[in-house]
Amino acid sequence: MMRRIARRLVAGLITIACIYTLTFVMVISIPGNPFQQGARNMPPAAERALRARYHMDDNWRYFLDFLRGAVRLDFGPTFTYADWTCNEIIATALPVSAMLGLLAIMIAVAVGVPAGVVSAVRRGGLTDVSILALVLVGISLPTFVTGAALLSVFAVYLKVAPVGGWGTLAHLPLPALTLSLPFIAYITRLTRMSMLDTLGSDFVRTALAKGLPQRTVVWKHALKPAFLPVLSYLGPATAQAMTGSFVVEKVFGVPGLGQHFVNAALNRDPGLILATVLVFATLLVTLNLVVDVLYAWIDPRITEAV
Amino acid sequence: MFRNLFIACMTLAAVLISIYQFSSHEPRADFTYVNPSGIHTLDPARMSWTQDFRVALNIWEGLTTWDPATLAPIAGAATLPPQVSPDRLTYTFTIRGDARWSNGDPVTARDFVRGWRRAMEPGTAADYAFLFTDHIAGAAEYVAWRNEAVTVLAALETLRGGRRITSEQAKALSGYESIRTPSASAGPTLVNLAKEITPSASDADDKAWEAVAAALPTAGENWDRIADAVFDTHAARLDERFSRVGMSAVDDRTLVVRLARPCPYFLDLTAFPTLMPVHESIELLRESHRGAPITEQGLVVCDPQWTKPDYHPDGYPGLITNGAYRLADWTFKRRARLAVNPYFHAAGEVRCRTIDMLEYDNVSASLMAYEAGDVDFLTDLGVPYDHELFRLSQSGERPDLKRCVVLATYFFNFNCVSETIDGRKNPFLDARVRKAFTLAVDRRSIVDHVRRRGDRVASSFVPPAAIPGYEPPRGLDRDVETARRLLAEAGYADGADLGPIEVLYPPAQERVCQALARMWEEALNVHIELRAQESKTFAEEKAGHRFMIAWGNWYADYNDPTTFLDCLAAENGNNDSGYANPRYDALLADAAAQADPAARFALLRDAERVVVEEDCPILPILHYAELIAVRPGVNGIHPNARLWFPFRYVSVRR
Repeated sequence: MMRRIARRLVAGLITIACIYTLTFVMVISIPGNPFQQGARNMPPAAERALRARYHMDDNWRYFLDFLRGAVRLDFGPTFTYADWTCNEIIATALPVSAMLGLLAIMIAVAVGVPAGVVSAVRRGGLTDVSILALVLVGISLPTFVTGAALLSVFAVYLKVAPVGGWGTLAHLPLPALTLSLPFIAYITRLTRMSMLDTLGSDFVRTALAKGLPQRTVVWKHALKPAFLPVLSYLGPATAQAMTGSFVVEKVFGVPGLGQHFVNAALNRDPGLILATVLVFATLLVTLNLVVDVLYAWIDPRITEAV
Repeated sequence: MFRNLFIACMTLAAVLISIYQFSSHEPRADFTYVNPSGIHTLDPARMSWTQDFRVALNIWEGLTTWDPATLAPIAGAATLPPQVSPDRLTYTFTIRGDARWSNGDPVTARDFVRGWRRAMEPGTAADYAFLFTDHIAGAAEYVAWRNEAVTVLAALETLRGGRRITSEQAKALSGYESIRTPSASAGPTLVNLAKEITPSASDADDKAWEAVAAALPTAGENWDRIADAVFDTHAARLDERFSRVGMSAVDDRTLVVRLARPCPYFLDLTAFPTLMPVHESIELLRESHRGAPITEQGLVVCDPQWTKPDYHPDGYPGLITNGAYRLADWTFKRRARLAVNPYFHAAGEVRCRTIDMLEYDNVSASLMAYEAGDVDFLTDLGVPYDHELFRLSQSGERPDLKRCVVLATYFFNFNCVSETIDGRKNPFLDARVRKAFTLAVDRRSIVDHVRRRGDRVASSFVPPAAIPGYEPPRGLDRDVETARRLLAEAGYADGADLGPIEVLYPPAQERVCQALARMWEEALNVHIELRAQESKTFAEEKAGHRFMIAWGNWYADYNDPTTFLDCLAAENGNNDSGYANPRYDALLADAAAQADPAARFALLRDAERVVVEEDCPILPILHYAELIAVRPGVNGIHPNARLWFPFRYVSVRR
């Protein structure tokens, strides 16, 4: 087990290094001046001075400098928000996104897994068809539509939630729910599919034949193996949800990390682009590792198989 | 069981995090407004966005400030009027006796010199450094001297690291004063170097310079010693060179400013955020190298975090300002809170003691917050359905929505400089073609049917009836017959001969460009290709003259026609069309030398007539209007042309 984790750790580090290098190449090759923020054209002398100051006139040096900083968890300056460092931006935005993302994933699991199980057990019935229809809606509707709809209903007409912003508990439910909808839909489908597989397997038939009640067979014996595909999906899904959603943040005015992914690229802010990408990559690699460990815990046979 | 355990754990975690995350909430401020796309920087020297300026004007106070209704300059930290010399080139300001920083220190003339000097330094890279180099005697020379040193020191730093420099840098090294004629103290290394870095071939030969640049890292020079010697020589001259710039603190309360040329709008400039004073505590955060207050590349650099109220490294007290308010609290991308500066000379008259600036990334969300009563004031209502808001405002159904006609122009650039673009011949080198394209446009229809935002039709570059005493020329109205005739005279009897004409613009301008394309196609029988381009890439293409027709806009920086007209001068860095007409430049130069205000405006009007009626390097379309939303019960906010809103005059009745 330990050897396996170590191997995955090394592979993870190599992945992150590749992602960093690729992102860096993109950052230095896209057109646009990172220092120019306003509408005025920047005097060439001023741009040269700034490039020299941040060692951006030498790509190798910049590449290594940033990497050295990143290893010490110092992502350096950002040019879009000159008064702040990348570290401060991530430190204020990541907890917001992580919080919202975790909540969304919890809602997704709490709703999606039971819905998928019920749908599988009653396959072909009215319940199954209605759940599948809702799931289809959940997958097809983009979050900017569902978010705006929730906002109009709960904040504008019913006035039971604030229209946006962040800072109190009341600000949480609407964006968390919006963010969770696509995850709910996906988890429901995954659970349904693997539950159908499991319900057709020999050990379930044996259990039923031995006279165990269906409820116990489904929820106790069948759910455990049926949950495995959901678990492997949860790794990347959690990483994605925790690093923020540009759309949900925009609709609800949530100061999370997602907006910086998009805006950093639009502003050509090299430090912030690299920092956000590295944070996302690290989270993704870590959570995949956690999923692997959980796998082994749920089903020890898998450890030997891989 | 498994399921219950899992969900119970997760829920518990969520509850724990929520309790941790959501702590206590401060009471609502006296006045709350939304700063549209958030604060970019609170460093007054570096800011270039209106929403940043708006904050700066409330926490800092320049020598003058603006009347909230008329925008005329009124007394700020200095008493008015200043003493002006008969040639109108020397202004002597007296700082008012009760001008105080937010920590109680008196505001001195030296604080102004410190702020101004920092703002024009190359290391600050201020967008508005030109306000000094254009207007203050000796400033342009000082900045050029500093820029040259920065180029050379950066090159020497590269060589010190054993890496290659560019041929441009080699050229700069070889021409640099302290390398070419080293002082005795610099030692013999520099003398040898001067010989080594001068190629035998002529200066024009780039290959020779390439060779020099390539040879330098391995030339066996002691770059450490050379870099240090050049650095020391430069650092030793800093103060002496700066003393030649026309800004000096004679004593604590007397500031003498010498101008490069008469500047009738100088008291308007001294209210501008770039010209704010800076408290001496900033020196604690200044980088130094070898005992001099500059970095090894020769830049003046202060820790950019100096603008935070709760930043305290090395005994730094946090941001100290001299305006009506001080920055009490600033959370990134959420909120900044201002509290009245108790030492401000008119602190007693400030009605709103605390002000919250909220940041919403989304205008619709901020509008909903305003409608819900959470916000008192909005400066940006740029929602997709804003034409409906303009209609409600005009019809009087929403008296809280007020229209501001802004001192700004929306226009298109014709490329007047590139021979070919993407391999195609550029027809806009011919002024007749530019004029024909200008005459073919129906601006009224764009304003009334495409944008529907209450803008004013523009046929001149400078907005009419905006700058007291200046009336821009009439410009060109729609005249399709003349347009066709001009095109034929230019050799394109049938517009199709022109080949496809490309219009370049950022995505937000799509609809106006489509309307324009149809007008041109119908009137001139030309084929128009529309090309939307992501904003940053667009900005670079535009500045590099890689377009045929490109969208542009310009907001006035000060209350004078030259804030617009200077952009079209041949050497101006914002002359995106690449227009160059010696006659136009001469008229601008004549106006700059003219002391009589009326005669000066007449010259500027002649200059503007050359561009908007004869040469047509730009096609003015409209002057922007904006809406602001002021909650009923809020007094003291006046719609104005520059969207400045000093909050010290605001009172709120709930």
